[in-house]
Amino acid sequence: MEHLLYLGTLIAVWIIVALAANLVVGYTGMMAMGQAAYIGVGAYVTATLNILLGVNFYLALSAAVIASALVAAITLLPLLRIGSFYFALATLGVNFVFFDIFRNLGPRVEGSEGLYGLQLPGLFAASGPRFATTLAIAGACALLCQRIVASPLGRVLRATRDRPDALAALGKDPRRYRMVVWTFAGALTGLAGGLYAATLFYIDPTLFTLDTSILVLVYIGVGGLASTAGSVLGVVLLTAFNESLRFIGLPSQYVGPLQEAMYGFLLIALMTFRRRGLVGNYDFRE
Amino acid sequence: MNFGGVFVFEDVSIAIPLGKVTACIGPNGAGKTTIINIVCGAFPPKAGEIFLDGVRLKGIRPFDTVRHGLCRSFQDVRIFPSLTALENVLVAMPEQRGERIGGLFFRGARVQERANRDKARRLLQAVALESAAERPAGELPFGQQKLLSLLRAVATGARVLLLDEPAAGAEADLIPRVVDLIRSLVKAEGRATFLVEHNIDLVRQIADRVYVLQGGRIIAAGDVQRVLDDETVIREYLGRVYDA
Amino acid sequence: MAASLFQVFSAGLGLAGYYALVAVGFALIFATLRIFHIAHGTVFIVGGYVFFSLHRLLGLNVFLSAAAGIGCAGFAGLAIDKIVYAPVLRRGGGMFNVFIASLGAALIVEAGFLAWTKGVVSVARTDMLDIVIFDNVALRIFDIGILALVAVAFTVLYLWLHRTNVGLEVRALTDNANLATIVGVDVQRTRNSIFLVASLLAGLAGVLTTYDAGIVPSTGFQILFIGIVAVILGGVRHILLGTLVGATCLGLLTAFAGFFFPEWIISITFLIMIVLIIVRPQGILG
Repeated sequence: MEHLLYLGTLIAVWIIVALAANLVVGYTGMMAMGQAAYIGVGAYVTATLNILLGVNFYLALSAAVIASALVAAITLLPLLRIGSFYFALATLGVNFVFFDIFRNLGPRVEGSEGLYGLQLPGLFAASGPRFATTLAIAGACALLCQRIVASPLGRVLRATRDRPDALAALGKDPRRYRMVVWTFAGALTGLAGGLYAATLFYIDPTLFTLDTSILVLVYIGVGGLASTAGSVLGVVLLTAFNESLRFIGLPSQYVGPLQEAMYGFLLIALMTFRRRGLVGNYDFRE
Repeated sequence: MNFGGVFVFEDVSIAIPLGKVTACIGPNGAGKTTIINIVCGAFPPKAGEIFLDGVRLKGIRPFDTVRHGLCRSFQDVRIFPSLTALENVLVAMPEQRGERIGGLFFRGARVQERANRDKARRLLQAVALESAAERPAGELPFGQQKLLSLLRAVATGARVLLLDEPAAGAEADLIPRVVDLIRSLVKAEGRATFLVEHNIDLVRQIADRVYVLQGGRIIAAGDVQRVLDDETVIREYLGRVYDA
Repeated sequence: MAASLFQVFSAGLGLAGYYALVAVGFALIFATLRIFHIAHGTVFIVGGYVFFSLHRLLGLNVFLSAAAGIGCAGFAGLAIDKIVYAPVLRRGGGMFNVFIASLGAALIVEAGFLAWTKGVVSVARTDMLDIVIFDNVALRIFDIGILALVAVAFTVLYLWLHRTNVGLEVRALTDNANLATIVGVDVQRTRNSIFLVASLLAGLAGVLTTYDAGIVPSTGFQILFIGIVAVILGGVRHILLGTLVGATCLGLLTAFAGFFFPEWIISITFLIMIVLIIVRPQGILG
């Protein structure tokens, strides 16, 4: 039961990450290959403030949201005028740079590689309430994202994705919308990062590598780009599938590689047969 | 204006008055689209100036044009394929509160969106495209996409419209709709329209003034009837076989 | 101090050799076929692991094992193109779709090797690597050998590109793919040649690395990324020269960074990539 609650909480956290990534990739057409960096910022800010400086969890979480939004905006600024392919490479580079930052400059508890010992308030302390609260937050995020997507803002984001040059000719600067959605997604991702820290209870830099960013892409790719339901579906299905692998009885050293191979197969299958994903609304054929 | 040493224009001066349709014709490569590109800031002019209502426009960038009251359409259309026809028109409308992230939570945005939707539907009706309203624009035939791109430019509310070959590629039965649309814009709303075109019939039907551009120079300008009947023009341009 | 700096310098040149071998293949594929062949790193490790298995596990002669390793790498590269990329392209995928599929292929192969072996796999023992010493500086014969090999490889490449018919067709593809097809260049055959040559070179690099420092599954990815930065730095206008310039710069950079700021090697490399992308994506010679 404990394990199920834990799993459920993780699913909720990743749903938030997937929703944010979908806004940016699926609706606005920005190939974000380094989202793990922003999850890390959220996690580290929350954990550092709470564990090392004794800041109240809610405050730390809020600070994390603001911090990741800022970091997202700042890292996007120099990349705004780059074409989509080099942009993807650059976000990948940003991911690696932050990994080094976490690894070399990241605060840590004495004698360990990472941070642990979050002091969590009532709603988060025990696994039951933590699951419920995180799920509620994820639900709120989903509603918010759906609201955005159905609004004129969602419409102009899709136009930015389709033909940014034509949008500019209509008097609307695509870079502005990219910045807005990227920053907003950065905030959501940072929120997820803080919740992630609360769920795992221990964070270290290895959680925020390229593998994690690829995982995010697999979640939204499988579920389907440009679909809120797709983001939820992708996370749930893949997590369920991963969990089921444990019951096959493989020796533990094979489970990781098997998961990795599975992600690889999924990526290839998606790109070859179903770029739309399961319930996606965007045939991604860049 | 020159492209790598080749002088494109020499001494070209064009006036686009409000309430009138001004056309520009000429053989391919004469530089007609380039004029639109320069005015809209895609290329900077080497010499010469652009005046809007007597105010000099300098260093204007493509997304600034609408704010100044200028909007262009593209020869190759460039509609948003995954947006429906209605959404294509809607997205062109300026100053939407719902496009700001804060605007999501206020009633004002919703009211405005409803009004915009009505306006967009009426625009579609004006060119008999309302049946395509909910279809993704990428699925529409080229001629309808062309019409849609014109509607988009109109929807921005810009007073001066620069249309790059609005009839090219459109099926014959759609051309009257183009004519009606442009006429109503200009006469009813007093906007200025500048057309670059190959279709001489269209030009004859709706233009008030026409410039004939050839080899980077204006070889004739003035009233449509007079110019199109002028012997030199007929000989130099109309008389020769050209691609329409 | 001067002596150790020179040491670092010569180590950098040695590294540059590896990067050059991997980078030039990547550059060829990218410049002619517009494919961002991230799986090139896995071709590298295929060469290394086959070499290791044959030589260390089965006791086969070192040169035969090396040849087999290189050959298998060549085959692997071709296979990836035919099995993964061709279907994606056939079904309407674009460059980016191929890139993601490449990522998927890389994940699968890497996972396979991860499952097979967790530790560093290496062949050489230090007693097998002779050193030449002048004036307090120890140069490994091996490093000199690598540079010699790279020189030979690049000369052969140059001759191939400029003196053979296939090479001519490759250069035609680089300049203008559409035109090349129209004038009758056999695109499929040329494509196969490009993948084969590129993969053989990567396999050679893999064999050498395994012999020298050993490899883990992620080594391929690491060297490839540095190779990518080398390609971006050198530009693809003059593929051979550009790659050599880029690889030398990156080799020296990683050697010096490894000496002075070892914890920041990754971020330094990627920061350079990001800056290049923003400021001069066509590279020094582009």
